[in-house]
Amino acid sequence: MTRKSVQSDDGILVTRHLTKRYNGGVVLDNISLAIEEGKTTVIIGPSGCGKTVFMKHLIALERPTAGKVFFQGKRIDDLDEQQLAKIRTKYGFCFQMSALFDSLTVYENITFPARQHYRITNDKALDEMVKQKLALVGMDGFQNYYPASLSGGQKKRVALARAIALNPEIILYDEPTTGLDPITSDVINELVMKLKEEMQATSVVVTHDMKSAYKVGDRIVMLHNGRIIADGDAEFIRHHPHDVVQQFIHGRVGEAELAALRLGGTRFETQFTPEDFK
Amino acid sequence: MIEQLGQNVIKTIGNTGRFSRFAWAAHGTMARTLFKPKTYPRILTQMYAIGVLSVPVVMATGAFVGMILALQSYDQLAHMGLEERMGVLINKAVIRELGPVLAAIMLAGRVGGALTAELGTMNVTEQISAVESMGTDPIRYLVAPRVLACLLLTPLLIIYADLVGILGGFVVSVFQLKINAGAYWSYSASGVEMWDITTGILKGFFFGGAIATISCYKGFNCREGAQGVGEACTEAFVGSFMMILVLNYIFTVVFDAIYKSFWTVKPLL
Repeated sequence: MTRKSVQSDDGILVTRHLTKRYNGGVVLDNISLAIEEGKTTVIIGPSGCGKTVFMKHLIALERPTAGKVFFQGKRIDDLDEQQLAKIRTKYGFCFQMSALFDSLTVYENITFPARQHYRITNDKALDEMVKQKLALVGMDGFQNYYPASLSGGQKKRVALARAIALNPEIILYDEPTTGLDPITSDVINELVMKLKEEMQATSVVVTHDMKSAYKVGDRIVMLHNGRIIADGDAEFIRHHPHDVVQQFIHGRVGEAELAALRLGGTRFETQFTPEDFK
Repeated sequence: MIEQLGQNVIKTIGNTGRFSRFAWAAHGTMARTLFKPKTYPRILTQMYAIGVLSVPVVMATGAFVGMILALQSYDQLAHMGLEERMGVLINKAVIRELGPVLAAIMLAGRVGGALTAELGTMNVTEQISAVESMGTDPIRYLVAPRVLACLLLTPLLIIYADLVGILGGFVVSVFQLKINAGAYWSYSASGVEMWDITTGILKGFFFGGAIATISCYKGFNCREGAQGVGEACTEAFVGSFMMILVLNYIFTVVFDAIYKSFWTVKPLL
């Protein structure tokens, strides 16, 4: 597949030749991708393929070893923290483990970005804002709870409410459904779609949950070993000819891994009981 | 082996550089937060956790230092008939060295461990990334108040340790060892100078700054998992401990040099 070279103004978020190495290992290998405004782009791939690292580059939490990242046509990967602070208010980031501040209540968590960036004089309006954001994720009434007393799904929803507290233009979701039961996962999927509709925001979702990817994604990009190996809508991905893609979306283990598992030991060699070690 | 050596040297230099940058950023932001009333509530919270809650342990440390010094030195001095001068020895030792250093080490354990564990857990659960992702500098929000609280309150805690150390030494000397109280105090007063007290307390600012900076740095850079946080706490304590001892040595040398160069003109001051 040949790709035309990606230009900095092709989308709201653009990476060009993005490469990241950690201690010699290549995590991201020359990734050029333009994320279109107003759409939901889903990034899929097996664990450890670099999708979370890729997402952290989009908000400059990680700096690339080589290559560039553009937000609204402006380069962001070389900015210092103070310049980034302004840009980051246009982002909402929903972390994998929710990352709510456990020393603050739900209310304080959601008002955190507002209090950090604006001089708040009207507490009533702030209360109203929190109420509205929590209502959007179906968690109104939980204002005075501490994160420790919420369930995993509830934490995720509060984290979503916090991510949208400043009405971001772009929302990044890091594995929003991981570790949740199927019904709660679907609730989160619905929320992702609802937020996109109501906030008119661009969304980027990193996931390895295919059900969620098909449901929320306008476009699906698959990463494998730090490279993009497939890029298209749900239909395109479903019928993608590449073996790795088919294995991933159907959750099938590859022949090579199976062979490795079989070689791991035969029945008689591995069936030790504790008595054998006496 | 040479390769190993080279790797370690590069690693050490890299770590030192990272720590220096962290310390520089922390102290720079700290100076700026001093002028932002918005951050005062956070600083006060930290002051309570770091300072107020440490008072009992620091006082206990001071008391036992004074008491044990009295017990240990009595035999030696009594041998020479100098037991009435014990006050000079105890109070000078407590005020100049033992009070500040032992109080700081106590704080490194109590406060440093807590800071590293707290920030380390926040790091592992991505809370520090979350602060950053919302456009807030985590050093300004998390580190500066802690360093400031520790830096300002360590000298105060040292005063507590000194005070209780002096009392402890006095109680053991006078009530247990039956030394004349008047002689004890008059010798103490003639032996201990303002200079001793000032330098002892002055050290506290540096000890406090070192403890908080090292502990926060270790918390910010801790590896994942329970083991990572545990290791970071150990490293933070050992690092702070070593830093306190090294700083103490440097200060003693420097203060001594200053003292000696002004010694001749002291009666004029």
